[in-house]
Amino acid sequence: MTVAMSRPSITPQKRAQPDSQSQPPALPENERILYELIKSRKNMGIWTADMKKETGLQNIVVTKALKSLQNKNLIKDVVNVHNKARKIFMAVEFEPSKEVSGGSWYSEGSLDTEFINILRKMCLKHIEELKVATIEDIWKSISASGVLKVACTMQQVLEIVRALALDKEIEELKSTGVGEFSTVQTGKVCYRSLRGREAPRVGHLSSIPCGVCPRISECTPDGVISPMTCVYYNKWLKLEF
Amino acid sequence: MVSQDALNLAVSLMTSHFGDLVAKVCGCLLRGGTLSLQEIVRCTELSNSQVKNGLLVLIQHNCVQAFSVPKQVGAGGATKSLTQYMALFDNILHRMRFTKFLAIVRDDLGLQCETLLEGLLQHGRLTFDQLVVRATSKQSEDSSSIRDVLRKNLERLVHGQYVERCPRPEPFIAPTSEEATASARRRSAKIIHFVLQSKEETHSLEQQAMIAAALSHAERFSVITDSGCESSDVKDADKQDVSVGDKRKFEVLELDEEVQAAITENEVLWRANFQKFVHCLEKKACVANVRSRLGLDAGVVLEALIESSDQEKDNSVKASMDGILEAVRGKPGGISMTLEHIRIVLDQLGCSSLIEDNNVFYKMDVQRIIESCQNDEVESLVLSRYGKEAYRIFRLLIKKGSLVETEQISDITFVEKKVAQGILYKLWNDDYLYMQKVISMGTGQLQHFLWKVEKHSLWELVLNHMYHAALNLNQKIGHIVEQEQEVLQAREKREQLRKSRMILEMSLLKLDDALMLFHDFKRQVV
Repeated sequence: MTVAMSRPSITPQKRAQPDSQSQPPALPENERILYELIKSRKNMGIWTADMKKETGLQNIVVTKALKSLQNKNLIKDVVNVHNKARKIFMAVEFEPSKEVSGGSWYSEGSLDTEFINILRKMCLKHIEELKVATIEDIWKSISASGVLKVACTMQQVLEIVRALALDKEIEELKSTGVGEFSTVQTGKVCYRSLRGREAPRVGHLSSIPCGVCPRISECTPDGVISPMTCVYYNKWLKLEF
Repeated sequence: MVSQDALNLAVSLMTSHFGDLVAKVCGCLLRGGTLSLQEIVRCTELSNSQVKNGLLVLIQHNCVQAFSVPKQVGAGGATKSLTQYMALFDNILHRMRFTKFLAIVRDDLGLQCETLLEGLLQHGRLTFDQLVVRATSKQSEDSSSIRDVLRKNLERLVHGQYVERCPRPEPFIAPTSEEATASARRRSAKIIHFVLQSKEETHSLEQQAMIAAALSHAERFSVITDSGCESSDVKDADKQDVSVGDKRKFEVLELDEEVQAAITENEVLWRANFQKFVHCLEKKACVANVRSRLGLDAGVVLEALIESSDQEKDNSVKASMDGILEAVRGKPGGISMTLEHIRIVLDQLGCSSLIEDNNVFYKMDVQRIIESCQNDEVESLVLSRYGKEAYRIFRLLIKKGSLVETEQISDITFVEKKVAQGILYKLWNDDYLYMQKVISMGTGQLQHFLWKVEKHSLWELVLNHMYHAALNLNQKIGHIVEQEQEVLQAREKREQLRKSRMILEMSLLKLDDALMLFHDFKRQVV
């Protein structure tokens, strides 16, 4: 399996920050004011409405200046994960902060589910192959397979693996150092596949209609909604008379 | 005090087992707490004799305990005893579990003991003679040989603590020991009231009554004395068990054995010991849970550990390695396990080992397994009601056990922030989560939302949901039974109804397993 990925090879917020003291280019007055304001906000960027408020410039002037600055490749617009409708500008040399971008799992303001799902599948596959593995083992095994075109950090793998444990796809346990744990140092946290052993168990209450019934609070023995007249029951028991 | 859902279920069970009148009396006691006969008559608007009969049925079936308290009569301040009745909610619910109790005895002691227990469950409480009459009426064999077999089987049941002597029928609750020594005539009603109230702080009147009615361990499980060697062993054990406070019992044991046996057979009432059955079912649930998580061997070792533990303290079981080993050997598949393997499994189970009197003991917190089963049940409910992402979020919050902020939840669970917010709100709105709002003063005012699973209140909510669901299943079963009567001629329809009833009955048994997990096996919820 080869997966082509369009993601940057290093996580955005970890890229080295450029020298912000470099000489500003010569710009018309309005553009200079806006550029300096935007640059001063570093990797947080600034919302257009805030720019107008802070500079006191008119709408049309701001729009024009921003367009010109973008054409000169001095600023860029970024998507704010909290509010996609708010247009945020940032100097080109900065990468959006975690607060703005949402973190390494976000791309263009949305959760990068495609990448997450691929990594989940890979983690699961490698844990199953390794039987019992520490996070280092899983990470090394994924990196060595060369399936991912982009590198992923051990932190990323750890986050994925922890979510898999929450889904009961795998379990997190401490090595006893013996038996199937013989490859792992005693007391070290390791992971094991749960496939076929303990998928989320169907509870006794959730397996009957009343467990998931949206109208249970209105259901009474002699009421309009009652077990005697319940449509969910009849559907469940395939009773049609 | 039981919740409305629990009360409805109990009354519904009473109605289906004993009819409307008994259910009405029982419902009145469940709603009103402890009441006297006159109070029940007023509350139910039934006649004196109807209530009396109802109470008799309930007492016969161990659903009501009577006790008497001193009551002032007339202006002179003279006191006389007044009989009070209280409903035993747990025993009422145990009526749903009789098939499970019977299966336990069948597996452990065989079919004959099961039949004997069946009689006790059907009739609530019986003397040995009554059990004999019941058995001889069915069989044409020589009644004396039947009698011997029955005696042996009853002894086996009592020995296994599946059957016990009935508690005292109507204990008198004296206000306090000092009060009891004082002259009854001089007691003022005011003081009695005060004393009872102050006692309530430690034990409620109902709890005091239960304590007063309970027999000592030796009394509960002392079998019919007979010339057989087995029972004489038991008698010796009983003698050793008798504590200083049980002088009267000691004297009774000194009586002529034959006379004593005759009295016991005629007068002593026996009943099923529900406590033991709850214990067995708890063990079964724990073993099933461990088996599914850690494999077959872990199940065998845990079962051996619980069975060989002499006593249970602080929600944990403790047994010596020798005891565990012996019990493991007696289980299917236990023969092949080496000592080293058993040690590894005990480690896997999270047992702690300690050395006492040169013996290695293993201790295990059973409560932890029960909690894990409870978590599974609620998590599964969240999964089917709210979906996979909510399941992940909920499991995170259960694992953390403390307040967690929305952003953090979203990051750890890979759920888009907006979606996570929506899920958390929904869960909070349905009382599955506790929420706390925090305002941070930084560059601007920022609202943060913190979330947590409040186990205590959520477990209560789930338990009530289960009572409601069990009530519904019970009512639907009743409804289908009625329908089956109506369509006696139409074979196809009848068959369909029969199948539906079986599904419902199976579901009720399973739901009851979950109910016990939250009500009967509960010790302390964190």
